[in-house]
Amino acid sequence: MPARERHAQAHEAWAREQSLLLDEERRSAGHRRSRTLRVFALRIGVLAGFLVLWSAASGRLIDSLFVSDPISVARSFIQISLDGTLWWHLRITLLEMTLGYILGVAVGVGLAIVVSLIWRGEQIVRPLMLGVFAIPKVALAPLVIVWFGIYLLPKVILAASLVLFIVYFSTLAGFAAVNRDLVASVRVMGASRAALFLKLILPSAAPYIFSAMRITLPGALIGAIIGEFVSSNRGVGFLIAYASSRYDTAQVFAAILSLLMFSLILNAIVSRLEKYVARWRSEEPQWGPA
Amino acid sequence: MARGKARTALRNVDLTIQRGEFVCLVGPSGCGKSTVLNMFAGLVTPTDGTILHDGRVIADVNTRVGYVTQDDNLLPWRTALGNVELALECKGVGRAARRERAFDYLARVGLKGSAELYPHELSGGMRKRVSIVRTLVDDSVDVILMDEPFGPLDAQTRLVLQDELLRLWQGTGRTIVFVTHDIVEAITLSDRIATFTGVPGSIKQVRDVTLPRPRDVFHIHETPGFATIYDAIWNDLREELLNERGSDAGA
Repeated sequence: MPARERHAQAHEAWAREQSLLLDEERRSAGHRRSRTLRVFALRIGVLAGFLVLWSAASGRLIDSLFVSDPISVARSFIQISLDGTLWWHLRITLLEMTLGYILGVAVGVGLAIVVSLIWRGEQIVRPLMLGVFAIPKVALAPLVIVWFGIYLLPKVILAASLVLFIVYFSTLAGFAAVNRDLVASVRVMGASRAALFLKLILPSAAPYIFSAMRITLPGALIGAIIGEFVSSNRGVGFLIAYASSRYDTAQVFAAILSLLMFSLILNAIVSRLEKYVARWRSEEPQWGPA
Repeated sequence: MARGKARTALRNVDLTIQRGEFVCLVGPSGCGKSTVLNMFAGLVTPTDGTILHDGRVIADVNTRVGYVTQDDNLLPWRTALGNVELALECKGVGRAARRERAFDYLARVGLKGSAELYPHELSGGMRKRVSIVRTLVDDSVDVILMDEPFGPLDAQTRLVLQDELLRLWQGTGRTIVFVTHDIVEAITLSDRIATFTGVPGSIKQVRDVTLPRPRDVFHIHETPGFATIYDAIWNDLREELLNERGSDAGA
């Protein structure tokens, strides 16, 4: 076949493909919208069903002393919100959790960097890190209280301990997953070790670090609450323990509800932050954890 | 090379390339053409023998080369502009100067309007342009190694990029060592073509391509003398390809 004819044919095929792709895009956009709407409606349905079941079972199938009921929980929630009790306790838990979370992320990433710089560092400390990671942190809580007192510090440390290890292991996984060809091409450009790390290795591990940060967010909250359970006179953990000791189940659930809403807000913030930092990624992630 | 059985990739490769020359390496797959490039970039150390760049032995990573591979090797979190700037950043060029240079080079390949786009927003051809420009933008780079850079592109984009590459290179005095499977591509681009034998790779034949420059990429096969050089290269290669097939059948 003459070259010119071949060109014309190839060009035609290319144009056809382009128009097909456009069609596909348009169709799938409308499709996606109706699908998210349906999912949203189903979510509301599941929630409503759960509340109805709870109401119906309370007092009939199960003693309402144990499970309370949605109306009483709502009433208690509004009451402790309005008289300032909830906010006063929540503020303390929030502080403990935030400090612990920041500490955990910083130490986790920092430690991963340090062991990566040392010859075989990661391998040397691996059994130690895995061992400490495997200890249930709840078991350490009484000891941590003894060591660090009964105020803010032990709760911060417990919160950090539930964040640190996962961030550490994830960061190392991110370092290991860096594309070797990219490393070679950046080295050929004359990058120093520091430049190689800052410009290539750290940013390419960022999706791993962020996914660990999202996963460990509830962990920081758990750490703070455990600390408050063990020894404290303030915080949402204390509020729950105190209400439970008075058999005020509605208030226990109200406090738990506040934690739930609080976690959802935090998760939304981290997701937004992650999307901003990872704005260079295409919609469908091509590499790294989703 | 993978752990386990060591294998000789290359044997007795002796090739001198002049400054400013465009040399293509062709040969059967797996014959070590890419290894030659990796050695020149200082990423692989030869077990025996030496490689000289401007009379100096390459003992470490050679930062005077630019490397363009089949993959684009662009940093996905940097824009086109950011990727081109990277090479200058590594050499310590100031912010304003490198921005201006990078922008100027992107404009030369028609990517002025796409400077702020991320790699996943660019087409394959555009990404390839960025990775070529990234090597050219750095003045201290005098040798550009290209390992089947246009392999993954469609036939037309390929021709367009060959044309652009020739125009970017012409008159710069830079040396290009270009690995390809495509004989027509090799003839279109180069001053000399080195044909490799099968594994372990060694140079079988080096031929001059005397077609006049500037060359018309789109009608190169109509240029007088094209058929002669094409047949000569094909003859050199055919034997090696047949050998390759024979050894495949045996295995």
